[in-house]
Amino acid sequence: MSPAPSVVGGSGLATRYAPSFALIASHFAVGIAGLCAFSVALVLRASQLDGHFFQPTLLGLTHLCVLGWLLPIALGALHQLVPVVFEVPVRSERVAWAALALYVVGATGLIGHLWAFRTSFGLPLSAGILCAAIWLYAIHLLATLARAPSVTLTGVYVMAALVYLLLAAALGFALAWNLAAPWLYTDHLRLLRAHAHAAGLGFFGLLVMGVAYRLLEMFLLSYGASMRAGWIALLAINLALPSLIVSFVFGPSTPVSTLGAAASVVGVAAFLWQVRAIFRARMRRKIDTAWRHTALAFTYFAVVVLLGPVLLAARLAPPWGERLALAYGILALPATMGSVVVGQLYKILPFLVWFHRFSAYVGLKKVPSASELLPEPPQRLQWAVMHLGLALLVAGVIAALPVVRLVGAVAFAASAALVARNLWVIYERKP
Amino acid sequence: MSDEELTAALAAALHEVLDPETGVNLIDLGLIYDVLWDPASHTVEVTMTLTSAACPAGDAMVEGIKRRLLQVPDVAQVEVRVTFDPPWTPGRISPAGRTQLGW
Repeated sequence: MSPAPSVVGGSGLATRYAPSFALIASHFAVGIAGLCAFSVALVLRASQLDGHFFQPTLLGLTHLCVLGWLLPIALGALHQLVPVVFEVPVRSERVAWAALALYVVGATGLIGHLWAFRTSFGLPLSAGILCAAIWLYAIHLLATLARAPSVTLTGVYVMAALVYLLLAAALGFALAWNLAAPWLYTDHLRLLRAHAHAAGLGFFGLLVMGVAYRLLEMFLLSYGASMRAGWIALLAINLALPSLIVSFVFGPSTPVSTLGAAASVVGVAAFLWQVRAIFRARMRRKIDTAWRHTALAFTYFAVVVLLGPVLLAARLAPPWGERLALAYGILALPATMGSVVVGQLYKILPFLVWFHRFSAYVGLKKVPSASELLPEPPQRLQWAVMHLGLALLVAGVIAALPVVRLVGAVAFAASAALVARNLWVIYERKP
Repeated sequence: MSDEELTAALAAALHEVLDPETGVNLIDLGLIYDVLWDPASHTVEVTMTLTSAACPAGDAMVEGIKRRLLQVPDVAQVEVRVTFDPPWTPGRISPAGRTQLGW
């Protein structure tokens, strides 16, 4: 048998800047383990998805969702995307590995303390380690982007997202420290809202928006769409976030909070308009499961950005204010961001496996395309079960029906198992 | 091998190199701009483009072309030049490629 040919011939194209497959796959493995843990925890605590958002169950679940599942996958994908799209190698792969090690230690400690609501010294210690890891990631990626030969619209979005990630991590550390040893002069719930929005809309929102423009163009073979709405969305969200954060931290100020809410609606509307323009200019008409996830994610995103100002303005009394706030959180995190993450994993992982295992055989023998590494039916099943589960969860929270919440959580957990199974099948494919 | 036979063999070989994402071959996707044959050195020179300068599959397609064309009889050397001048446009996709893309 002849040895396998080399993968890359060094023709000077973008892929030569990509880091090792092991770095990206490790981030994805951490994220999938986090998704499985989150889905089990969701089933165990489905009966407690009720009441005010500041409670141990919800703090634990939220951080398990974000730190366990969404963030490791987003950071892994960024380490693949930034070098390839912006044609610049990561500054140091060792720094990325060090950040991952710190991250796993810090996130595990923080989630554990919040889950058990142990406000001992271990809470700020874990939060400090996690904050250091996230700052290391963000500064390292910003330093990498600073060397890019040109900065595109997507590049500006990614840089802005990383700045909000720095802010979200710092605010999270301050809040964790305050839980163990109160020192904040202001109401900590105000800072919690600022932390959540810096992370949710600031990091995840801007990241998803900026990256979506590039990936939609690339995967759907879209050509010639004007990017004006994308720039308007960028400006509007970066007007909205400082306004919202100021109004959260320094107390309700009607003009500032109104400006923030209005700008966020304009920003997301402009983003959706931009997506529509790219979608209409596409040459690839067939829509696969990855894009079905993404389309639903953007629908959830629109609902979130309309519900947010309602919650801000109406100041509904319990129980409706609390229920809608919980629904807002579910729609923003596992629904919007979770759907994007799962959908894009169905795009990114097959490509990485194809590139590292199959590309060396192109021209020598028949190789499957990246999309053929996993058939559509198991992806469709996972898609249907996941979104059914999310719909039932939101309905169960709003209607305060514990049985509906439990069925929704079980469906979501089943979809998480299907995600893990599907990705494992892709990962195991060999020529 | 006559010139006609070589041309047919090169075209058939290029039809077998696929874009890994869409599964459409590079000819029907409109990525191949020119193919030149130098009978003295038995060298094929391919000028091609990518749908995007940051195409993550670029290296794999370039190497795939080299490997496939080297299997064509008489071909001793393959050179692939990637250019973005002129840039790729959807107008370059053939009717067969459009059908595969769902049009």
